[in-house]
Amino acid sequence: MADQAGFTLHIDQNKYLARDAREVHAILTISSAGEAVQQQAPAEAAEVIIVDTSGSMSGSKIRDARTAAATAVEALRDGVHFAVISGTSVAKVVYPGGTGMARANPATRAEAQRAISQLSARGGTAIGEWLKLAGHLLSAHPDAVRHALLMTDGQNNERDEVFAGVLAAWSGKFVCDSLGVGADWVPAQLRMVSDALLGTFEYVRNQHELADFFRRITQNAMAKTVPDLSLRVWVPQAATLKFVKQVSPTLLDLTGKRTDVNPLTGDYPTGSWGREEREYHLCVEVPPGQVGQEIRAGWVKLVRPDTQEVLASGNVLAQWTDDLALSTRINPKVMHFTGQQELHELIQGGLSARAAGDEAAATARLAKARQIAVESGREDTVRLLDKVVEIDPVQGTARLVRNVDKADELELDTGSVRTSRLRRTAEGS
Amino acid sequence: MTCPLCESPVAPGDSFCEACGHPLTSPACESCGAAAVDAEGYCERCGVRQPTVRDHAETVLPGGAAAVTDRGLRRARNEDAVALHALPEGAAPTVPVRSGALPAAGPGVVVVVCDGVGSSPRADEASAVAAATAAGALLEGRTHEEAFAMAGQAVVKLAHSPESAPACTYVAAVARPGDVILCWAGDTRAYWLSDTPEGRVGTLLTEDDVARGGEITAWLGADYPDVQPRTRSFVPPGPGLLLVCSDGLWRYLDGYRFPADGTPLDQVRRMLRHALDSGGHDNVTIALIPLGGTHG
Repeated sequence: MADQAGFTLHIDQNKYLARDAREVHAILTISSAGEAVQQQAPAEAAEVIIVDTSGSMSGSKIRDARTAAATAVEALRDGVHFAVISGTSVAKVVYPGGTGMARANPATRAEAQRAISQLSARGGTAIGEWLKLAGHLLSAHPDAVRHALLMTDGQNNERDEVFAGVLAAWSGKFVCDSLGVGADWVPAQLRMVSDALLGTFEYVRNQHELADFFRRITQNAMAKTVPDLSLRVWVPQAATLKFVKQVSPTLLDLTGKRTDVNPLTGDYPTGSWGREEREYHLCVEVPPGQVGQEIRAGWVKLVRPDTQEVLASGNVLAQWTDDLALSTRINPKVMHFTGQQELHELIQGGLSARAAGDEAAATARLAKARQIAVESGREDTVRLLDKVVEIDPVQGTARLVRNVDKADELELDTGSVRTSRLRRTAEGS
Repeated sequence: MTCPLCESPVAPGDSFCEACGHPLTSPACESCGAAAVDAEGYCERCGVRQPTVRDHAETVLPGGAAAVTDRGLRRARNEDAVALHALPEGAAPTVPVRSGALPAAGPGVVVVVCDGVGSSPRADEASAVAAATAAGALLEGRTHEEAFAMAGQAVVKLAHSPESAPACTYVAAVARPGDVILCWAGDTRAYWLSDTPEGRVGTLLTEDDVARGGEITAWLGADYPDVQPRTRSFVPPGPGLLLVCSDGLWRYLDGYRFPADGTPLDQVRRMLRHALDSGGHDNVTIALIPLGGTHG
């Protein structure tokens, strides 16, 4: 596998296909743990901190939010471009004001913290407006690692198509990590933000921990040194790339974010990179082949779209065989992450069915989810599933729990995009 | 004219596609025909891995002896290897160790066929190095035992550990018109082909090292360091051909009518076609050496 500029790309798959098989699955592990990523002078960074200042934030929430935003400002590296936005039914730059961003230094950090201490809670919630303003500020720094941190405690008041339109317009233009606080925010809305803007979203169950979340997310953003890399995927002329998904550390479907490079090749954005490891699941439907024939079913490159520089590359292969011992072998990583995706879908499907009053479907899905969670070592998820579905230890039958704590449900809903890692074994691909 | 990758129009004589930069002088794909085979051997349009030299290779000597080795239809790669060489004129005859008789002088041929053991790793490397090493040693005038031992050492060196040891079978022949000396381990075979009123018939010259269950009991590899080969000296009763082949051919020889005309190269090609038409389940290697007659 190619290894340049500190990036490595490893492919796990079983390349052997039965005579009639058409689908090739592979897990790509991309790691930037190399020295070069650290030694490389960090790219410019631009950071926007978005604080929900709607009416529902009044009281202790706005106090904790002020502390958290001040903590995030403290965590900014010297020289980073930054701005602070207060969000209601409109978005307003509370620091530095105007249309630009400030450069972080002790003086600007102190000024920003003074401005943050004046924040008060009043008005509605228009998350699309907040993101639009963040996008405009960040787009002035096209070469920088562009990041926004958004927190909200409530439901978005914008019409669905307005919100979706803003997300589509700014998709891939910057990365946004978001946080939900309290019991009234909607995980599905922050999931849309995370899907469009390639970030994470988390639930801050204990409001007084908000500052810790802000500090960690800002520090992570500061640790990103390589902006805007793409996965460039080629598949053969008669093949179809069925999906490209990030599967670790969180699930992110990139399939719809393709930019065509040529009829056989497309770029899929992965956002900015620090010293980290991520895994992607690729599925290619190949045309029928002859037994014994080997084809390259996918050619994957990690590229900088601005310079066309290839940082790492690898081949996804397919080879038809009559030997069942070869073709029926399932690669352990492919199996693991297929299970993690199924777990996520079962939790989401189970919670939706439960909300819609379809008790039978909800019970079946959540019980199945619990089984996968147990098998894949997701103890936290098992603990949360136990709060919504009860399994009779003798009969094995499942039933829904009445009066589920809203916080448990939010945590289960939010956490389902996280995946567990497969324990490393000596076994190769 | 369009680029085989991005389908943009390109002018005849252009070296690169102006739209995507694809080199338009790339080798043509054996499968789809696009000028798009990359340095790794895959077609950048249809993805098919191109056959390599080892997938199919033919050798012909000036005296007519010919060999072919082929991947077959079912295996991913060719793990057979063959080395076919003319003995240099006036070379000292190889002295068989166990038989006292000196071989007859005259133009001679050295042939070595090795078949990688399918259950071992990198068996293609084992067979290639064994055939090349043994043929080199025999051409220098070394004995079969020495050549076998040197081939064995070369295969042992490939192993990272006895648990992960590349392995192959072995059959070598030094053939002169009046004398054939054979040395083997495993189930790769030699036959004597002669013409009778009923047509051309094959007589097996080697004995397989095979247990009752079908598994081979002798091979070259780090997991069998003290393997001993068997040797045999054979005096052809008249004109005929020495056939040396891997099981990819001989598994299909029951009731087979050997070709009785054409050059040895024509004949090995027809035998290969027979093996492929019969299923081509394994790699196929065939060497045919005319001795003491009008063949070739």
